[in-house]
Amino acid sequence: MARTLMRFTGVGGQGVLLAGEIFAAAKIKEGGHGLKTATYTSQVRGGPTVVDITLDDEEIFYPYANDGEIDFMLSVAQASYNLFKNGVSEGGTIVVEPNLVHPTEEDRKRWNIVEIPIITIAKDEIGNVITQSVVALSIANTFMKALDDDLLRSVMLSKVPAKVHDVNNKAYDLGKKYALEAQAAMAS
Amino acid sequence: MELREIISTGNDLAAEAAVDAGCMFFGGYPITPSSEVMHTISDLLPEVGGTCIQMEDEIAGIAAAVGAGMAGVRTMTATSGPGVSLKAENLGLAQMAEVPLVLVNVMRGGPSTGLPTRVSQGDVRQARNPSHGDYRSITLCAGNLAECYTETVRAFNLADRFMQPVIVLLDETIGHMHGKAMIPTVEEVKKGIVPRKVFTGAPEDYRPYGVGDDEAAVLNPMFQGYRYHFTGLHHDGKGFPTEEIETCRKLIQRLEDKVMMHTDELELNEEYMCDDLEENDVLIIAYGSVSLAAKESIRHLRAAGIKAGLFRPITLWPSPATRIKHFTDKVKNVLCVELNIRQYTEEVERVASRLDIHGLYKVNGRAISPYEIVNKVKEII
Repeated sequence: MARTLMRFTGVGGQGVLLAGEIFAAAKIKEGGHGLKTATYTSQVRGGPTVVDITLDDEEIFYPYANDGEIDFMLSVAQASYNLFKNGVSEGGTIVVEPNLVHPTEEDRKRWNIVEIPIITIAKDEIGNVITQSVVALSIANTFMKALDDDLLRSVMLSKVPAKVHDVNNKAYDLGKKYALEAQAAMAS
Repeated sequence: MELREIISTGNDLAAEAAVDAGCMFFGGYPITPSSEVMHTISDLLPEVGGTCIQMEDEIAGIAAAVGAGMAGVRTMTATSGPGVSLKAENLGLAQMAEVPLVLVNVMRGGPSTGLPTRVSQGDVRQARNPSHGDYRSITLCAGNLAECYTETVRAFNLADRFMQPVIVLLDETIGHMHGKAMIPTVEEVKKGIVPRKVFTGAPEDYRPYGVGDDEAAVLNPMFQGYRYHFTGLHHDGKGFPTEEIETCRKLIQRLEDKVMMHTDELELNEEYMCDDLEENDVLIIAYGSVSLAAKESIRHLRAAGIKAGLFRPITLWPSPATRIKHFTDKVKNVLCVELNIRQYTEEVERVASRLDIHGLYKVNGRAISPYEIVNKVKEII
């Protein structure tokens, strides 16, 4: 496997960190190497946050994504979208929450912009906004085909309390469903 | 050595290492980006019968830790640059009274409160002399996740060996990055513990500071019948203040010599792809998280036909002078890469007796990328 670089961006407090840890841990469980780094501001909540995830079969040294090399980005906040979008390679995929992020026409030409209402799905369909990180995890993996779904799901479940396994399983399923639908819509 | 795989962050690994190395006391005050060290050790210490206490500020945090060190247990505090500034006075006391202690500094942007959440290596010079007066700092610097564990363990062993504070420098990137580390098993760590020396003769003969010219004090644990005095003033063999000319001279000379006459026990570095370097090749010198970018840059440079290698000091103070000199004598193009302005370059210049060392520096809280190093190398050759 070549190196996979993913970037999750949002604002502090949304829980995007956990998705990065799950990705890295699952890749390591598979026998490879995974690293997660997070950058945040001194604002406790509401500051732009970026999580870089690097997965590779070979040892990874530099833990951040090099600008222009990112294969996939997911964004749930306009401010952080604007700040970090330029790291994504030409033609790379950017999944945005359409209620919160509004890409420009130029952006849509430069990248493969996909709109999935991640927060609405978490809040209304699953009933718990915190599950958005698992929805995001599942969407990212569906687009990147980075890891085996069962492995990623089991690592995810190992990181959340047993009493919320059901909602997180639902979040994982819904993320995958919406991602597949978005891919089908793009293909047609 | 038997290794185990662990998925963790640098800060968590430092906390786990402390407990595995026998640390029984943590006194501190949380500060970004080091807070997780305290958070994690506050969970771990009670499980082994130890104590973690959050004091009212950074000064009280280290004061409590120094007290525990005086009492005879392995002790630690963790902080970031602004915290080290506050702790400086107590670090000086621990140097003077020869109290072993491990201080983890997860570096962020400075000076002052600086850039709290962002990476920096701006405390390298501070680590060399955090407090006034003559003494020798022992400062170690982790360059990957595994070393957040192994260097913390080493710090505890060196603190007891040299009877003084040992600083472990992490930076925000290393402290917070989350990934795989191959680290020694707890049994291996326990096997490597050398407890501090204890005087076993008659209590009336006990002179904790009355040791050989290049030896560290022998401080027995408290409440076991061996009485002595702690002070930050110049002191005699029993620890009582004195201004006697020769005693004062010998004391400070001994603080210098107990470290500098035993640098062979301290010097540690990594040489990455340095074996084949010749005169016209490139030697990169970097430490901490910057060395990760440097290693990646070397992959790119070598793929482009440019022979480059990395020299990475792991013990920053005292510097691994012999090996630095070995390479700077051999290789013409030397590039220091640091997240500060020339803080270690000046040491390289001193050790190498060269003033043509190139530098790549960044002080805006952002990491130096492998491509920036590649471009700089192409510029200097």
